[in-house]
Amino acid sequence: MTDSLFSRRALLRYGAYGAGAAALAGTAASWDRLTGADIPGRDDGSLVVATLGSAFSPAGVRALVDGFRRLHPDIKVRVNAVQAVDWSDFFAKILTQIAAGTAPDLVYVATEGVQLFARHLGVPLDRWVRRDAAELREYFADVHPSLVESMMYEGSLYQLPIEFNAADMYLNTQVLRRAGAEFPAGDWTRDDFTALLRRMKKASDSHFTPYFWTNRLWGGVVPWLFANGTNLLAESKAPGGSWLWDAFYPADRRRGRGGGFRWTTPQATDDRVVEAYDYLAALVHDGLCTRPEGGNGQNLIGVFSTGRVGVTPAGGFWAGGLHLAGMRADGFDVQYFPRRHTQRHQFGAAGYALLRTSKKQDAAWEFIKYSARRDTLGKLFTTNQTTPALRSMLTADRYRETGPAHWRVFYDTLDRFPDTGPIPAPPQVAEVTQVLLKHTGTALSSPGSVGPALRRMQGDLEKAMERDV
Amino acid sequence: MTDTRISSVRPRAASPAARAVRPGARERGTRLLAAVFLAPTVVGIVIFTVVPIVGSVVLSLFHWNVIDSPGFAGTANYREVFGDTTVLVSFRNTLVFMVFAVAAQLLIALALALTLNGRMPTWLRSVFRSAFFFPLVLSAASISVVMKYLFNQDFGVVNWLIGLFGIAPVPWLTSEHGAMATVVIVYVWQQFGFSFLLFVGGLNNIPKEIHEAAALDGATGPRKHLAITLPLLSPTLLVASVVGIINALQVFEQPYVLTDGGPGDSTRTVVMVIYEKAFEQLRFGEASAVGVLLFVLIMAVTALQFRLSRRFVHYQ
Repeated sequence: MTDSLFSRRALLRYGAYGAGAAALAGTAASWDRLTGADIPGRDDGSLVVATLGSAFSPAGVRALVDGFRRLHPDIKVRVNAVQAVDWSDFFAKILTQIAAGTAPDLVYVATEGVQLFARHLGVPLDRWVRRDAAELREYFADVHPSLVESMMYEGSLYQLPIEFNAADMYLNTQVLRRAGAEFPAGDWTRDDFTALLRRMKKASDSHFTPYFWTNRLWGGVVPWLFANGTNLLAESKAPGGSWLWDAFYPADRRRGRGGGFRWTTPQATDDRVVEAYDYLAALVHDGLCTRPEGGNGQNLIGVFSTGRVGVTPAGGFWAGGLHLAGMRADGFDVQYFPRRHTQRHQFGAAGYALLRTSKKQDAAWEFIKYSARRDTLGKLFTTNQTTPALRSMLTADRYRETGPAHWRVFYDTLDRFPDTGPIPAPPQVAEVTQVLLKHTGTALSSPGSVGPALRRMQGDLEKAMERDV
Repeated sequence: MTDTRISSVRPRAASPAARAVRPGARERGTRLLAAVFLAPTVVGIVIFTVVPIVGSVVLSLFHWNVIDSPGFAGTANYREVFGDTTVLVSFRNTLVFMVFAVAAQLLIALALALTLNGRMPTWLRSVFRSAFFFPLVLSAASISVVMKYLFNQDFGVVNWLIGLFGIAPVPWLTSEHGAMATVVIVYVWQQFGFSFLLFVGGLNNIPKEIHEAAALDGATGPRKHLAITLPLLSPTLLVASVVGIINALQVFEQPYVLTDGGPGDSTRTVVMVIYEKAFEQLRFGEASAVGVLLFVLIMAVTALQFRLSRRFVHYQ
């Protein structure tokens, strides 16, 4: 009935091929395969700690892990240094790990991501902090309440800050000498600052730019907004938090503290915001500062250390950076950000956030406590790549080799200007940052662009803040 | 039932004509063997191409932020995307970029290939071939970082060099038109090597006899290239332009590193928007919707190219 399609020999041959293929497929299917869980530490019961790759040196990480193991031999720890260009990139990679089902237990989170993680992923540390209050008293006594408050969200504490950086102003002393200018006083004003830039410009050649800044959330336009007594988003404080303030801080230090910051209504068209942008636009127009797209952190150290830039905003992290770049301790110095209507400064802090998905939350808390100890931080922050959150760690010895001479400015910023606060980073921080950077570029692109650009920024920020991320 | 009917109408013995068109046993065996050999590739394409494409289309119909469970959104993501000026500007930027980048890439590659196809010592030709191809094997991100230094308005080497001739600093990356032009320059510098190699191969395949005959008939220089070289090279031109356009429509690294899409949105491309929506704003549904639109655009442009190729491409 049927046509003979195959000869018997061909049928046998293809049958053998099929059997072979099936055997191969069966073997492959039954073979032990590598999965993400086979990567050391992911599925061996270790406590996995994700850090921004560039945050700590390998030696520092080794010291951290070895020290913790000595104290808690029963808890295995693996530090996963995630390589990323900035915090936004880092958070994206952590979220990808979470989506892939390989979430770490602890994540090193900076101010940029505190509220995003707290809202969606974090576990409040309140119950452990209450339980181990006696143990933590020394820590809180040494940490400025502004830093702690920046790690609170809606009344709960989500991280213990272990480092921070306030946006102070670095000055190249060689450029100051060239311009015949004195080192500015701590209460200098924005007009003093402008006059200094003009003086530097006059004393230098055409390849010199007095003020270098980077268009980003930290150290970009926002410090100028703070000095103008305003902010990108209306700022208020959440209720609550007294459980912590009453337990750890005396009355004079806890006054005005709440349950963390709230950034809500956009106010990009506020008169003081517009005035701050007009000021920066004038600096760009007069050739006194880099354009927003021109400045970036990658080449800043090079141009500053070689005297092609006179002034730039940076925090304690830069002392180590300039030293490693070969700058002498007396080649630069640091002063507070200049005053306008206020001298409120901006800072960003960082610490470990405990994820809800973690099944080792008690062990993770032990790691958080250990990582915030003075001796631990002493081993971790050896090269002045940041400002430790513990005030007692900032000593003359620490800055003798690297400089700057006025190293006290780093922590005194918090004491001298108690309203100094974190960068505005609501849970919608990614979109807020993108809107800010984009429209700042447009606002300063040409004369007369500030008004239209800020109106567009206001519209985009309103849309961003309406989103429930 | 159906089988019975079919078998009842099937002739018991094939007619000679039917036998002529029906493949023989050997041919069927060959086809089966071909299918076996093709299977791994087909399975790979299904897993790594078809499934992600279908997955993107499905994801574009959901709201998903990685953290919470996805929720069905219908066409909301598409409505959101069409109302988002940043997305629309990114499509315009990408098309503008594609036009300038592909045109420059093909022209430069063709000019250099024609030049190298002329009289030249073999060793020198090898040196040039390697030099032109070399940028293509480098990482686009690394190149862009270096170029960002070179084109910096205040501290870059390029402005320093032109400053020696009394020319004022050019805002390479800090003005809207300058930034797009610089992104095109950096992209073309890296990418033209691929088209160049295609053209070199295509030129080598043109029989010398045709050129010699044309020379005997009095054709010289430009006339010879227009009347003989270009028509015979048109299949290669088609391949180079199709690949070039698809790559250009997916440009990401150069604008991301050089300008981060700025100033404003002037160099923000579609793939940058996809990345930002997905990994910075955690709106994977909208990112997928933009991805689907880009896919449709690429398919449409490619189909148009093949349609036009019927008129302009000459196969020997």
